[in-house]
Formats: sequence, structure tokens, C-alpha cells
Amino acid sequence: MKHTLRLIRRFVFILMFSVILLFALNVILFIAATYDETNARGGWQWAEEVTEELLSSDGNGLKLSQKGAEILEELDAWAVLVADGTGDVIWHSDNLPPEIPLHYSAADISWGTRGYIKDYPTTTASKGKDLLILGHPKTRYWKQMWNTWDYDLIKNAPGTILKAAGVNLLVIIFIYMVFTFGFLRSVKPVVDGIERLPEEEVHVRERGQLSGLASAINQASEKLRSQEHALKKKERAQANWIAGVSHDIRTPLSMVMGYAGELEENRALPDEARKQAQVIRLQSVRMKNLINDLNLYSRLEYTMQPLKRSKVDFAAVVRLAAADFINSDLEQKYPVEWSMEEGLAACVIDGDKELLGRAVNNILTNVRVHNPDGCRITIKMEKEKGKDGKRKGERGKDEKRTDEKEKDETRRDETGRLSLIIEDNGTGADQEQLKQLKNTPHYMMCGRNGSSERGERHGMGLLIVRQIAEVHGGTAEFFQSQEGGFGVKLTLTLEHIAVMIEKA
Amino acid sequence: MSNDYLKQKRLLLVDDEEELLHMVEMILRKDGYTELRTAGSTEEAFRIFREWKPELAVLDVMLPDGDGFSLFSRMRRESDLPVLFLTARGEDEDRFKGWDMGADDYMVKPFLPRELTSRILAILRRSYKNENPVVRLAQSSIDFERAEVQKGEERLSLTAKEYELLTALYRNAGRIVTIDQLCEAAWGDNPYGYENSLMAHIRRIREKIEENPSKPVSLLTVKGLGYKLITEETL
Repeated sequence: MKHTLRLIRRFVFILMFSVILLFALNVILFIAATYDETNARGGWQWAEEVTEELLSSDGNGLKLSQKGAEILEELDAWAVLVADGTGDVIWHSDNLPPEIPLHYSAADISWGTRGYIKDYPTTTASKGKDLLILGHPKTRYWKQMWNTWDYDLIKNAPGTILKAAGVNLLVIIFIYMVFTFGFLRSVKPVVDGIERLPEEEVHVRERGQLSGLASAINQASEKLRSQEHALKKKERAQANWIAGVSHDIRTPLSMVMGYAGELEENRALPDEARKQAQVIRLQSVRMKNLINDLNLYSRLEYTMQPLKRSKVDFAAVVRLAAADFINSDLEQKYPVEWSMEEGLAACVIDGDKELLGRAVNNILTNVRVHNPDGCRITIKMEKEKGKDGKRKGERGKDEKRTDEKEKDETRRDETGRLSLIIEDNGTGADQEQLKQLKNTPHYMMCGRNGSSERGERHGMGLLIVRQIAEVHGGTAEFFQSQEGGFGVKLTLTLEHIAVMIEKA
Repeated sequence: MSNDYLKQKRLLLVDDEEELLHMVEMILRKDGYTELRTAGSTEEAFRIFREWKPELAVLDVMLPDGDGFSLFSRMRRESDLPVLFLTARGEDEDRFKGWDMGADDYMVKPFLPRELTSRILAILRRSYKNENPVVRLAQSSIDFERAEVQKGEERLSLTAKEYELLTALYRNAGRIVTIDQLCEAAWGDNPYGYENSLMAHIRRIREKIEENPSKPVSLLTVKGLGYKLITEETL
């Protein structure tokens, strides 16, 4: 509807503009067309000029000068000079038509001056007390014979003209509106249809002048939907295919992993063989992670994994992932150093617990993959305090549940951003790789140049970390740690943070 | 003192892959389990379940004549034996379904032998802890049935919270249990803000189970993350 209003405004503007333009144009044309007329003053000018060329000659007669004769010839006009008092013609041009009288009464003169003499339109000029009558060819001029106007008519003319113009304008606008609304009524469904086309399936009634347009829109809509459907189907099929493949790989891989694990621990085997079994086991673990990543990746990418959002204590999620990591590190090759900003208790964010845990797990797994000989890992949690570090009353209920022993503690809840930094002192990544990690679009998860010094890739696992951060409205940055290893910084928005304040 | 009594439990393994069953059976036998039976279908599994009365079942979700979830509910109608789902279906929906139905654990293939054995042991411990109530630690022993600690000649009783905490730690003996998990075990669903309280309880537990509470050998702190209980069997 907004568009329609704009259209109407525009149309009205164009209309006004055209009316003004037309008016101006007409005035100009009128002036141009009557320019000559104005100059000669409708033939009266000629009469005066001829009078001036009528000269006395030899004391008794009158003679038309050469120039006067030329004027008459050019105008194809005749002239008579009527004497004052007698009404007799005391001079006339040579070409006087025979039907022209040579004597005029006062009434004849008045009549001749106002109108015609024998159908010849006339103009007059006075020569002394005498009157020169110039007779023009019959088709040269129209003469207005009753040239009086009502006084009020002239007096009120400006108002009258304005009123007339106003009425004209109203009539034009009325005609325009009737036509436009009729037109808009038939255009509106089409316009609405086009506007809705990007969002939903559209069906416009195909009738009236614009039925062709409506049917084209309907076809376009149908085509769009079917393409969208096909694309979704394809994506779904792709994700399902990946899920299917990863499902089918899991069972055989279980056996590879299981037997490799058994062989590795079989003391009856030579060391060399057990080492080889270990390689098989480690590689099959990598394959397992890869399958999990691939599956999750495609589900996230094709939005087949709905976020199960809830209030999650991110610190607990990280602790659990870290504890799992340490628990599975039987040889204790990856000592983990944990540091959390002093006083931070719970870092509640609105997120999917499983996915967040998965992100942390992926970061830690990535460290293990790239550093098979072990390295030191530091996990740090900090809050980037928001400006509105304020109390929130809604946590009051929980406070009361705390043990009696903790009565000397109060909570202060703050909002802001929370960052988790996981760094290691092992194999790092060079600038090239970091750049690639930063810029790789999701669908290009295995860059060919992505190999680090050890020939390992910081691949899909980290891209999933980024994906998970992004679906939570956060960011994931990858960098070179201070100790030359690899670092990941995950920044998330805090719902609120509980800070413990010990009262002295 | 060991898990011997747990390793004598009757374990039923159900999977449609014969090879995998074979491998799991071998892994468990090597780990010391003796009473093992396998089934390749829900019908077979249910028959064995009725006749043999297993004390723990490892179930696959996809079976040739039905799915593990419905087999699980059929079994649960007759007994509340602990169940571990071991499946290739890793999607969250499946996992949550497993948990929601009351499964004791849910493992996605592929898995490492050690992962499987430790999870089975954890379930057995949790389910049958009262049968062997005395857990030996380096300098004391915990009697879960009586909720007591025996240290030398001394018998010290455990408070309810201490009991809950020790249970949670014992179930995962040798593994880190995070602060949050411990708080949840002791204080329930909304466990934020009990960290200091937890520290106090841990201190009191140490006073009971350790010779020198400031130099603990059985209940270890993993800085920032949680605690770990070292029992004789995990050594």
C-alpha cells in the first residue's frame, strides 16, 4: 500500500505540472499567433499611415505620395476622404470599386466606422476635421460590430477566470482519480503478489486487464516454490545421505577400533606390532571424530539440527568437556591448566548445551590431533564486562536456597560478553593457515593447503567450532598462542553472570 | 578388594552384527567378566532376558526384528535392570530418547574397548553398590550401606550431603567429576552458587577419609575443574 500511495502522489504531481505547463504553452502560442495583429492594430495603423501620406498639392487638390500609393497597393485596399460637414468624398484612391458611395451621411459614417462598407471591412483615421476611410479586401478582417461588454463582467474577470480554472482542475482530478482507482484496484493484487513473492507462495486472481500479468506472477511463484522445494529436498537428501553413511561406517569402525585397542594392549605381541596397532587405533579415533564432525556439520549447515536452547552455565559445560578430556587422557600427556576470572561463579548463556560442549570438545580434540606427543593446554575464562553491569532481581529465589553457611555471600549478576580462550604450547599454525581458517566458507572444509608442519589439518572440527559459535551469536577466533602453539578464542554473549562476593 | 563381585554379574549383549557381538564379548571377557550371553534379535534377547535374568544389558537400537527402545521398554516392564545403549545412531534425538526412557547410559559407535568397559563398570557400581558396600581407599574405607567411614579404629558417620558427594565420586572413581556435577548430585537441578559450600563439604569428607586432610591421597583436587576419588580398585 505504501508503494501505491507513493504512486498516487507522483501521478498527482505530474498532473499538476502538466496543467501548468499546458497553460503556459497556450499563452505563448496565443501571443505568437496574434503578434502581427497587435502590430498593425487590426488595420487601423494602416489608415493612419495612409492619412499621413495624403499631401496637399498645387494649393487646391490632395495627392497621395508614392509611399502611400505603395501601401495601398500592398494592402490591396482603397481609400476615400470624407469632408467634414458636407459628407462628400473630396479625395479617393484610383482603385475605388464602383459600388462605393461618394457621399456619406453621419449614420453612414458611424456604420462604416463600426462595421463594413458594402462588405468591405474598413478602418478610419482623421485628417484634420476630415475622415479617411480605408477599405480592405473583403476577406482581410473580421470586424466586431457590437463591441460593448458588461462592466461587471470585465471587473470580475480575474475572479471568474480563477474559478473556471479551479473547476477545470477539479474535473480533471476527478476524472484522474476515478480512472486511477479503477486501475489500482486491478493492479493492487498484482503488486501485492509481487511483494509477497520472495516470502511465500502467491496466487493472484487472473482476471481483468492485467490477467496476463497475474498469470505470469503465479507461474513465477510456482517455479520459485518448486525450486526452493527441490533445493531443500536436495539439501535434506545430502544431509540424510551423510547421516546414513556415517551411521553405516560406525559399526565397522567400532571393530577396527576395538580390535586395534585389544592388540595394542596384548603383551604377547612384539612391541613393534603393538605400536602399529596403536597407530590404527589413533587413526580410527580420528576417523570417528571426522564422521561425527561431518554429520554435525551437515546438519548445522542445512539447519536440520534445531538448537535446543536453554539457560546453560557455560563454565560447567567447559569444565565437563575439560574433565572428559583429562579423563580420557590416560597417559597424562596433555596437562590442563584451568583459570577462571577471580570470583566468576556461573556464566549463564542462552544456548544449546550439547553443541557448546561439542565446540569445547572439538577444540581440545584438535589439540590432541596436532600434538600426538603431548603438550600443555591452558583454559581461561574471562568476562568482558558490559556497560550495564547491574543487579538482577530474578535470581533472588535461588539465593535463598543456598546453604546457611553461605549467608555471608551475595550475588551480583552482570551481563556482557564471555570469552573462553584455549591455548597450547604445541604445534601452531602459520599466518597462512590462520587466514584460511578465518576465511574458509563452511562448504570448503578441506582446503588443500591446510596442512601444518606435521601434515595435519586444522579442518572441519574447528569450522564446526566456528559454526556453533555463530549459531549462538558469538564468534570464534583462531590465533598463534604466546608460546607458539595454537589458540582459540570463543566469545559468547552472556545472559547473565553470577559473581560471588565474599563478605569480609 | 576389587570389582570381582561386579564382574560376576550376568551381562546380556544385543546387536545385529555378529562380528561386533563377538568383539564386545571378547573385550568383556578379557576385562574379567564371565557371565556373558549374546543375542542378535529382540525376540532372542527377550527370551534370554526371561530365562536367564541378566543383571545388565547392552542394547543396539537397530535390530532386525524391531528396535532397541521397544525391547528396552518391554524389559523394563518386568524388571529394572540397568541398560546401556550402544548404537550407531548418534543423532541427538535418539540420544535424548534413550535418556528419557531411563537408560543408564548411551554410547555411540565407534568406541574404544576401554571406554565401554569403564562405562559398564560405572553402571554396575551404581546399580549394585549396596551389595558390596565397603569401598577401600588408601587410608580408610567407605561403607555405603551404613553411610560410615572406617579409618583405623575410628568409625565416622557421613552426613547426607557427604554421602551423596562420595557416591557421585565413587561412581566415577579414578575420573574427574566436575564441580558442577558434584553440586548437582548434592543440591539438585539448579546447582549454581554452591561452589564454596562444596569446598566445605569436601574438606569435611577429607577429614574423615584422609590421614592428613591437607595432603589428600584419596580425594584429589583438580584445580578449577573438580575432584577425583582414588579407590584401591582404580589404582
